[in-house]
Amino acid sequence: MKQLLSKISVGSLVVVMLVAASIGIFSVTSLQADETCMSPYMAKITGQEDFVYVLTLGVEGLGDGSDKLVTIDVRPGSKTYGKVIHTLSVGGRNEMHHAGLTDDRRYLWAGGLDTSMTFIFDIHSDPAKPRLHKTIKDFVAKSGGAVGPHTFYALPGRMMISALSNDKDHGGRTALVEYTNEGEYITTHWIPTEENKLGAKIEKIADGYGYDVRVLPRKNVMLTSSFTGWSNYMMDFGQMLGDEEAMKRFGQTVTVWDLHARKAKKVLHVPGAPLEIRFAWGPTHNYAFTTTALTSKLWLIYEDDKGEWQAKEVADIGDPSTIPLPVDISIGTDDKTLWVDSFMDGKVRLFDISDPFHPKPIYEKTIGSQLNMVSQSWDGKRLYFTSSLLANWDKKGQDDQQFLKAYEWDGHELTHKFTVDFYKEKLGRSHIMRFGAYSLYGKVPPSAVSN
Amino acid sequence: MSPISVSIVKKKGVILCLVLFVLFFFSKSLISDELAIRANLDDLALKRTKKSHLGLPKVPFPDDNLPSVAKIQLGRKLFSDRRLSHNNTMSCAMCHVPEQGFTVNEIATAVGREGKSLRRNAPTLLNVAFMAPLFHDGRETSLETQVIGPLLAVDEMGNPSAGYLIEKIKQLDDYDDLFERAFGRGVSIETIGQALATYQRTLISTHSPFDRFYYGKEPDALTSKEKKGFHLFIGKAKCVSCHLITEEYALFTDNNFHDTGLGWYNSMVKPTADQFIRVQLAPGVFTSISREVVKSVGHPRPNDLGRYEVTLDLSDRWRYKTPTLRNIALTAPYMHDGSLSTLHEVVMFYNQGGHPHDNLDPLITPLRLSKEEIEALVDFLNILTGDNIQELVLDNRSEKIGNPGAIFHPKVTCPPIIGP
Repeated sequence: MKQLLSKISVGSLVVVMLVAASIGIFSVTSLQADETCMSPYMAKITGQEDFVYVLTLGVEGLGDGSDKLVTIDVRPGSKTYGKVIHTLSVGGRNEMHHAGLTDDRRYLWAGGLDTSMTFIFDIHSDPAKPRLHKTIKDFVAKSGGAVGPHTFYALPGRMMISALSNDKDHGGRTALVEYTNEGEYITTHWIPTEENKLGAKIEKIADGYGYDVRVLPRKNVMLTSSFTGWSNYMMDFGQMLGDEEAMKRFGQTVTVWDLHARKAKKVLHVPGAPLEIRFAWGPTHNYAFTTTALTSKLWLIYEDDKGEWQAKEVADIGDPSTIPLPVDISIGTDDKTLWVDSFMDGKVRLFDISDPFHPKPIYEKTIGSQLNMVSQSWDGKRLYFTSSLLANWDKKGQDDQQFLKAYEWDGHELTHKFTVDFYKEKLGRSHIMRFGAYSLYGKVPPSAVSN
Repeated sequence: MSPISVSIVKKKGVILCLVLFVLFFFSKSLISDELAIRANLDDLALKRTKKSHLGLPKVPFPDDNLPSVAKIQLGRKLFSDRRLSHNNTMSCAMCHVPEQGFTVNEIATAVGREGKSLRRNAPTLLNVAFMAPLFHDGRETSLETQVIGPLLAVDEMGNPSAGYLIEKIKQLDDYDDLFERAFGRGVSIETIGQALATYQRTLISTHSPFDRFYYGKEPDALTSKEKKGFHLFIGKAKCVSCHLITEEYALFTDNNFHDTGLGWYNSMVKPTADQFIRVQLAPGVFTSISREVVKSVGHPRPNDLGRYEVTLDLSDRWRYKTPTLRNIALTAPYMHDGSLSTLHEVVMFYNQGGHPHDNLDPLITPLRLSKEEIEALVDFLNILTGDNIQELVLDNRSEKIGNPGAIFHPKVTCPPIIGP
């Protein structure tokens, strides 16, 4: 079987997997690993992940001060398990933030929220040593003024990029920008505003803000959430909390789009800066979760029995009056649990979401002095956490810990496996993680070859 | 090939030619329309620097930098070019947003390169031609040299050196010979400053309801409440002591420095006075958080001593330049640090007599205005907006924003100018 597989080209495999994924041949249980929360169009790792790629913000005066892609070996039994095995500096501090894989999973795209530089890494030629394949320097000019490429979300043959700001005022009005997998600009979809509703039904307000983008293909639905513009996400967090004007400029909307037509249909009212969006996986589960960073609430975005998409606040995350600041979230593949990281208290909380309208907190653990991203394996057994939110929002002094921490989850308790100290390693601020594996490309690890 | 096939091919060819023909003329027509609009805007901009304006003096400009269309075009282009910053993110227009009164309404104090916190509110550039000295602390004397500081400041546009920036501009194709056409010589820190100064001197805005009432002798230009506000402005509220109005014109500033107590209070008292700050989480949703929490995620704000930082004269501590009140309705938030959100808050601040302390300007005393008087005064401040704001915004946005890899408008041709 192995021999047969090795004869099939990677391209053919990708096509088969894409088709399979799109028509639902792969049931949830047939996949044993990979990260949850990825695009449904994407090729998936069907075994243990080999690497965690960490997008890292450069820190002035630390190491080479440059943003970089850091590769960490997570192969159990490997001599370098839990260690940094490769770093790739891209030059400059671009406020490197999120990254996403192409549908064929051969390339990892990462965006700088400050400079709007977009870096495309080749992760398939040698998954242990990614290399910089292409840099898009004219994202703002090509897109017609979108600033701050954020989410990179795989669509078939394309990358859908949600931006955060614009080049006219560095405020929150922004757009979705579409590129081919080859890195060629296709088009820009501006997010509805009060002045230009673009035909969308407005529930209360249309702020035109952006953040995350996710799709539910079988319902032809795409959702976008809303954060804030360059002036705020680049600003010192403490200064911003004391700036009354700045605090008025946070997103209050989730926009429902016709996925195929790329047309905004409805702007839901979700005040308090809704960030990450995660659709449920179940074939009849027509809903997604998001959390509002400032008001610390868990929201359900769902299709009602009339086929209309609605938003409903369904739970508090910690004590909202203390601003826990929920950031990344990760949904279990069985749609029964949701991990929620919160930045200010450094905690991860697990919610039972079996009843999506009544989530219940069932577990919590402090991971560090600050916490941002979480990635879990498809079987829910391995969780990885990183610490940096934004260069100027991260904690100051001793509490500015920068790490990747790996844990195992047995259904009851998180057990620490390893920590990489990103400051000690002179790397910088650790942000989003993405999984890599030799198996995706019909490759076997070098050690396996020698065996 | 059969005769029918040949006929189809011929027809297709004819249709294609027709389509291309229509497209060619359509695009040509669009381009010429665009050029005509831009030429008209250029013409209007040049006229603004030369004609007389109701309620304003003649626009001043130095003998060695007389205005021209070529200089205005170049200055406008430089003004909106984000490539003028080291990492291609900041242009002048990012802190002086045309649609936001040529300042920024969305943040109290400006944010610079890589998110560096600046200490002061970006002042409006509307009518900046009449302002001297420049900056809240008056450290600059001329618009021609004003830009050097922000271009090179590490926490603003962050260019490593003047020479670096000049070379960078020289290598940008879309600047081509624009400097030579405007100045008869190439890119230099001097010509960059002169072009930007020329453009900024076109940002004249007047003919407000106040101008029509006071200088245009139109008694109905103001409501009775606004007239009451005006009388308070020049009478009981004493605003006119610093925000000058003369018989010929009104700059609404004495271009001088005063200590209202705000700088002293926000530097010396406020940081330790309140243990908690009120934070808006969403419209109508607020919480209080301790200063300890704020400190955990924020660097302390550097002290700001105002005019003293320029003169090193102790009597200048916490003195700031009087801002113009023209177009004040468009330029919130207010004061040198943007710490007051509304005009009502500003009037209330002066009504209480500022923040009394040893150095307080003797002109600042409690005003004892009634609620109705405060409202009338605010109403008056709201009618100081010029009648051409849209024109100025359109004028600015007629130039594409400069970004790496940007595609620019075709150049508008204009006769080269020899000499200064």
